[in-house]
Amino acid sequence: MKAVILAAGEGARMGPFTASEPKVMIPVGNRPILEHVVRALAEQDVRDIVIVVGYRRERIMSYFEDGKPFDARIEYAVEGKQLGTGHSLSEARPKVQGEFLVLNGSNLLDHQAISDLIEGRHGPSVLITESENPSKYGVVLLSEDRVSKIVEKPREPIGNLINTGAYALDESIFPAIEALARQGKHDLPSAVEALSATKPVRAIRTKGMWQDALYPWDLLRLNAEVLKSVHSVKAGTIESGVTIRGKVSIGDGTVLRGGSYIQGPVSIGEGCEVGPQSVILPATSLGDNVRVGPFTLVENTILMDDVDVGPSCVLQESVVGMGAKLSAGVLAARGRATPQVEGEWHEVESVGGLIGEDTVLESGVVVEPGAIVGARARVGGNARLRGTIPNGGIVV
Amino acid sequence: MCGIIGYAGYRQAYPILLDGLKRLEYRGYDSAGVAIVGSGLQVVKDKGYITHLEETSEPVPGVLGIGHTRWATHGPPSKENAHPHVDCAGEIALVHNGIIENHAELRERLEKAGHVFRSQTDTETAVHLIESHYKGDLEAAVREAIRGIEGSYAIAVIHAKEPDQVVAARNESPLVIGLGTDENFLASDIPALLKHTNRVVYVMDREIVVLSKDGVKITDFEGRRVAREPQRITWSLEDAEKGGFEHFMLKEIFEEPQAIHDTLLGRVAEPETDSFFKNGYTNIKLVACGTSYHAALVGKYVLEEIARVPTTAELASEYRYSRAPADRPIVILISQSGETADTLGACREANRRGCKTFAIVNVIGSSLAREASRTMLTRAGIEIGVAATKTFVAQLAALYLLAIRIGLERGTLGVEEANRLNEELRRLPRAVQAVLNEAPYIEGLAQKYAKVRDMFFIGRHLGFPIAMEGALKLKEISYIHAEAYAAGELKHGPLALVGPETPVVAIAVRDSVYEKLLSNVREVDARGAPVLAIGTEGDKELRKFVDDVVYVPATNPLFAPVPVVVALQLFAYHVARVRGCSIDKPRNLAKSVTVE
Repeated sequence: MKAVILAAGEGARMGPFTASEPKVMIPVGNRPILEHVVRALAEQDVRDIVIVVGYRRERIMSYFEDGKPFDARIEYAVEGKQLGTGHSLSEARPKVQGEFLVLNGSNLLDHQAISDLIEGRHGPSVLITESENPSKYGVVLLSEDRVSKIVEKPREPIGNLINTGAYALDESIFPAIEALARQGKHDLPSAVEALSATKPVRAIRTKGMWQDALYPWDLLRLNAEVLKSVHSVKAGTIESGVTIRGKVSIGDGTVLRGGSYIQGPVSIGEGCEVGPQSVILPATSLGDNVRVGPFTLVENTILMDDVDVGPSCVLQESVVGMGAKLSAGVLAARGRATPQVEGEWHEVESVGGLIGEDTVLESGVVVEPGAIVGARARVGGNARLRGTIPNGGIVV
Repeated sequence: MCGIIGYAGYRQAYPILLDGLKRLEYRGYDSAGVAIVGSGLQVVKDKGYITHLEETSEPVPGVLGIGHTRWATHGPPSKENAHPHVDCAGEIALVHNGIIENHAELRERLEKAGHVFRSQTDTETAVHLIESHYKGDLEAAVREAIRGIEGSYAIAVIHAKEPDQVVAARNESPLVIGLGTDENFLASDIPALLKHTNRVVYVMDREIVVLSKDGVKITDFEGRRVAREPQRITWSLEDAEKGGFEHFMLKEIFEEPQAIHDTLLGRVAEPETDSFFKNGYTNIKLVACGTSYHAALVGKYVLEEIARVPTTAELASEYRYSRAPADRPIVILISQSGETADTLGACREANRRGCKTFAIVNVIGSSLAREASRTMLTRAGIEIGVAATKTFVAQLAALYLLAIRIGLERGTLGVEEANRLNEELRRLPRAVQAVLNEAPYIEGLAQKYAKVRDMFFIGRHLGFPIAMEGALKLKEISYIHAEAYAAGELKHGPLALVGPETPVVAIAVRDSVYEKLLSNVREVDARGAPVLAIGTEGDKELRKFVDDVVYVPATNPLFAPVPVVVALQLFAYHVARVRGCSIDKPRNLAKSVTVE
């Protein structure tokens, strides 16, 4: 069976982390979210994959190529203007026949969830899961095991079973998408709901893993989830006096300098330089070519490719985008926060700094919990950052 | 420059040969052909792309054959000049990559002896020469014939009466064997084999191969058996597929951050040193062709600046004409394929002159990698687009690493300074990514500039070789006449050609020559030429003097050629695309030129 992965969207709510790449390419556990989806499919022997791409599509295509490194055969469909998930799927129409799976490229799910969908499908089907936070998602109302209604972001509590955005569908979905498009609605859940009026749409409840990343701090949850299955790999150079505990994956060409302490699960990419005397605590991912200076602490944090962290910094529960440069003594410690994204305030139990790609923080900068620092921002020494600094912003 | 292929096995040879030839099309594509021994010898050939041959001819049955894709050197592209060539009796067929230098003399002699030539190619002499030596044993005839051949060649030969073997020989042209099960292959390059096997044996100079279904026999020209272990190729055929991109060139441009990352990997934190450059020389010569020569020109400034060693850059095809200086410089040869005939020749000449040689190549096990005393690999991965892109930036990254290494070995560069350079070097992939993010903007500019006939590129200092590379890219793929000038030279002549119809691309990044360059920009602006500048991010001043600006991130000025050239590559690509050119296979050009 073929699978269609929807990966055309920008993911504006991810703030500075989608400034130059689509949301699906954000790394968790050192791999793009989309790669985890592709691999979960391949594990269930679903190897013919159509990825619908749009925003910054070159990033996706040059990473996945024709799928060979992932044991899959990948084709691409291009959605020129990103109108919605239904419209996205219709771009893949020439490349599918009969039954096919539809997945969202930015939702992490495991092979169990995919196998539940494949095994449990009976005609058009939607994969649902229990959520503690249903008001952020599409709540699925059932009659027996069939979909009767999908209510997007209900204000009132009406149920806790939500749509995972994973479906088994067939060509009957396309007329439903077209009919709604004529009314200016382009999302896939509406089309599935409309389809359920004409034929039964089965709801399959999975207990497999399914995680969505809506906001930047959600990435830490996904990262920790993925790192649960990290393997111990010790490539590169490990100088004497380095302590490694738990599962730590270390890439080629990486140098761990003496006196550093690393507690897994941790994934360190290729060509990194850590220490001397640095501390990396769970659950942390370092991309490729990352530098962590002496006496720096990094805990439960994502440092994407090419990040350069100077000496004596503290980063807890933080996300740092590609190529950001943090000079000596930058502090991004965790704490309770109420960051604002797209005009909405969010209560976050515990979070550090959210620092966009290619941003430069001069020495002694303090990033308050939940502060969002835009991509390519420049922040002068000893500044204290709270709230949101826009992309390209300058703080003296 | 051509590509050859051979097959001996149990399957139908025709589709295997054609498919393999398609993988070799980057080596030339003005005509193609195959010869198969089935019921007798049958030859199918025509001018044009391989797909044209496929569409116009019927499959020929048979399980043994040879094939060829040609890039014309002797005689224009035509059906007659296409390989395979056959002898007078129509029993022997031969394909050839390289040049037979004494073909005129051989031809005269063979014609006198009654051989009838059908083409103007140098190659045809070889097949008649083999015919003249044939006494029922093809291998012996080939062995005898090559004694009389001077030049560079990889040939593959079949005979109608010997339907179970392909005989091949190599001298100074690439040839590799692929080992299968109950079938064996040979080809000019590995991509042609990868669909069938990843076990390969490299054939060396002055060796003869007899390829059959059951085995491969290698002997040297003197007839001694050669034993050589097969090597396993770890990259896959799919590495060579386009994966969603419209052209290989665009795909390869977008792979540049990775190519630089891979080239730097493990060499920044722990530099490779072995005292090769420590002492015993007073200067360095960088030798290369084409795009690699532009890398050498950048390398000259970089080596002098970082390592403080006098350096010159020279074209490989001209190197041999210079007198061997007594001081024996270290010669650094740069070639993507490691098979470029001129560069390989220069390497041999340098070795002969007693110079230490150092090669920067992208292909492990290539001839240049084997013949130079030391090698540094650019790890850019396979490059299919004829216009070099990612391998160029990887060459620059390698030269930066090398300059730091030489400076450290000679003691002319302090450790602290080296660390600072390394730190900046690490940021190069990001700088390239930032330019790639501007691709849609550059695409828009291309629309505006695509309709012109001529274009000038100007730059100073490091901007000059990059202007040359920008002009070369544009020429190669868009067929716009593009010329690069050192900006200071404009007033010594070329300014006479500048006007409203000739846009000027100016490399105007913020460096020590920025102000001087701006005055050159004013000169061309005063003559009404539209100016497109490549400038440094944040330089709002620049907009006042030029019509359009593509901004690249600020870097150490020594490293600026990398982001700037990425912008120029994207510009050339999109201009060519707007003009509807055959981007991955520009007319008259081949990827790596293994003839002189």
